[in-house]
Amino acid sequence: MIAVDGLAKAFGAKREIRAVDEVTFDAPDGAITGLLGPNGAGKTTLLRMLATLIVPDAGRASVNGLDIVAERDAVRRRIGVLSDARGLYTRLTARENVRYFGELYGVAPKLVATRTEALFHTLGLSALADRRVQGFSQGERMKVAIARALIHDPPVIMLDEPTNGLDIMSVRALREQLRALRADGKCLLFSSHVMQEVAALCDSIVILGRGRVVAQGTAPELVAQSGAATLEDAFVALLGSGEGLAA
Amino acid sequence: MTRILAIAKKEIVDASRDRRTVLTTVVSAALAGPIFLMLIFSLLANQAEKTRALELAVVGAEHAPALVDFLARQQVTVKPAPADYEARIRAGDLDSTLVIDGEFEKDVAEGRAGTVRLVFDRSRDRAQASIAEAESLLRAYDRSWGRARLTLRGIAPSVGAPLEIREVNLATPRQSGALVLFLVAFYGLFATIIGGMAFALDATAGERERASLEPLLTTPATPLEIAIGKWICLALFVLAIVVITLGGFYLTLSYAPLPAVGVPFLFSLRDLARFVAALAPLVALMPAVLLWLGSRGRSIREAQANAQLLLFVASLVPTAQMFLQRKEPWWLIFVPVSGQYTLLNRVLRGDGLPLLDFAQSAVLPLALTVVALVLFARNWSREAVLAGK
Repeated sequence: MIAVDGLAKAFGAKREIRAVDEVTFDAPDGAITGLLGPNGAGKTTLLRMLATLIVPDAGRASVNGLDIVAERDAVRRRIGVLSDARGLYTRLTARENVRYFGELYGVAPKLVATRTEALFHTLGLSALADRRVQGFSQGERMKVAIARALIHDPPVIMLDEPTNGLDIMSVRALREQLRALRADGKCLLFSSHVMQEVAALCDSIVILGRGRVVAQGTAPELVAQSGAATLEDAFVALLGSGEGLAA
Repeated sequence: MTRILAIAKKEIVDASRDRRTVLTTVVSAALAGPIFLMLIFSLLANQAEKTRALELAVVGAEHAPALVDFLARQQVTVKPAPADYEARIRAGDLDSTLVIDGEFEKDVAEGRAGTVRLVFDRSRDRAQASIAEAESLLRAYDRSWGRARLTLRGIAPSVGAPLEIREVNLATPRQSGALVLFLVAFYGLFATIIGGMAFALDATAGERERASLEPLLTTPATPLEIAIGKWICLALFVLAIVVITLGGFYLTLSYAPLPAVGVPFLFSLRDLARFVAALAPLVALMPAVLLWLGSRGRSIREAQANAQLLLFVASLVPTAQMFLQRKEPWWLIFVPVSGQYTLLNRVLRGDGLPLLDFAQSAVLPLALTVVALVLFARNWSREAVLAGK
């Protein structure tokens, strides 16, 4: 599980851009938690802090009880991250891309081989496994990136806008995959600026606006909280505007 | 350690699949030797040819038949000079012309020195060898004639020539080849940079350009491990390119049917090994510097400008050193590139590779290798490296 408490990060010469401003929420195991917010709300910065890539200015966060700053290496081994940047090595095959990360995570070679087989099978990549990534479509590349992020079988999985640039079939396949991981008891944190996406998949939703948590709860809770009729109306009401709301 | 090796292994596979870059780098490295040696040797052969088969245009050969006979005995082909010999010399069609004065016989008969004029244009490089040959033949004739006269009068020749000049050329045969082998040294140095340039930039700035850096930094691999892993791959590749470049020179010098120029260029396998050893510190340093430069660029194009500056500075050093005729200052051996160039020159002169000199030349490059790798790792530890896709 992920516990975030008052996390903050500012950028700029005078720290005047407060990308993430005292964010607090929990993401439990066996559930998909959605981070919903317009572009520039601070989702990527928040995920990068949780992925231990950047250090928070204030507040704390833990992954399975391990502090993201003090126990960075232990945290890294327990998280699988599908970041906004998900470039692959195009001269390597799908299998080699995944194996490389398996080696970097210190997974035994045999285990890497069996896990790769299993992941490729569920993702429908088996036929492409030994082809170079060069000619892959966006959807196929995304699947390889997912397999790469899961090769060390992490209990906590973070995905930053995973549906960006995917066609409808790939989005459906991705949803299936994430539901299967939830059924395995994993903790999933899923960021998106697409409301329908979050509504369709997430057990609870954290709405971010200008770096702050605007509201959180399940979809019906959010609707009730805002007094709106639909989740979309609730989203607009909670953020105070329809700014950045792309469907 | 296993992570470093995993990174090195992946980089090797990744780089070796970049067929076009591998092919152009390897082929140009392998061809540098044969092509340049062919050019240089045919130039030298031309000059040598001229010296041996000296043709001398003579005006007024009938005035000094003994001199003409002497020249003929020295394998010189004497032919009558064309009327416009001065214009031809200026145009470079004729190397020189010997003009025997009309009063020659009369002067000699009356006990005065006979006059001959050697007409040439000193600014013509290609004619230098044959001019020098003609000059020295005339002086030799002068001396032998004088000696014969003294002997006839019962005076020892040494009375008239108190100074006996003997030329002792300390250049061993292998030393005379040094100018040609400067090329070998230059290309060896060149290979340490150019051999790894494309790959270093692809492995650093390319990683950012392809957006594969963020996932990589999310793994437990530290930036320093990544830097070392990439460096291992690159240093091995550069080593291979250096060996191929020098091997091209070695094979050409050993087996190619080069025109005989009378200078035995000795470039043995042992010299080849010494060359590689002398260059080893740069094989370590240059990839590290290139990786560091690459890590500063957001895109490959941006990093290329930096790398080209490195290439320019490094290629300037041996060129400047060749024109610098003074004795090298003691500290030069410590300076990267300069030190290696100095050592390569010693190997070329047949001085071997003294261990102390080698150690001195290696200190700074190896220290700078560590510095460059640490700087590279620091660049990739900064949070700003994730910004600006």
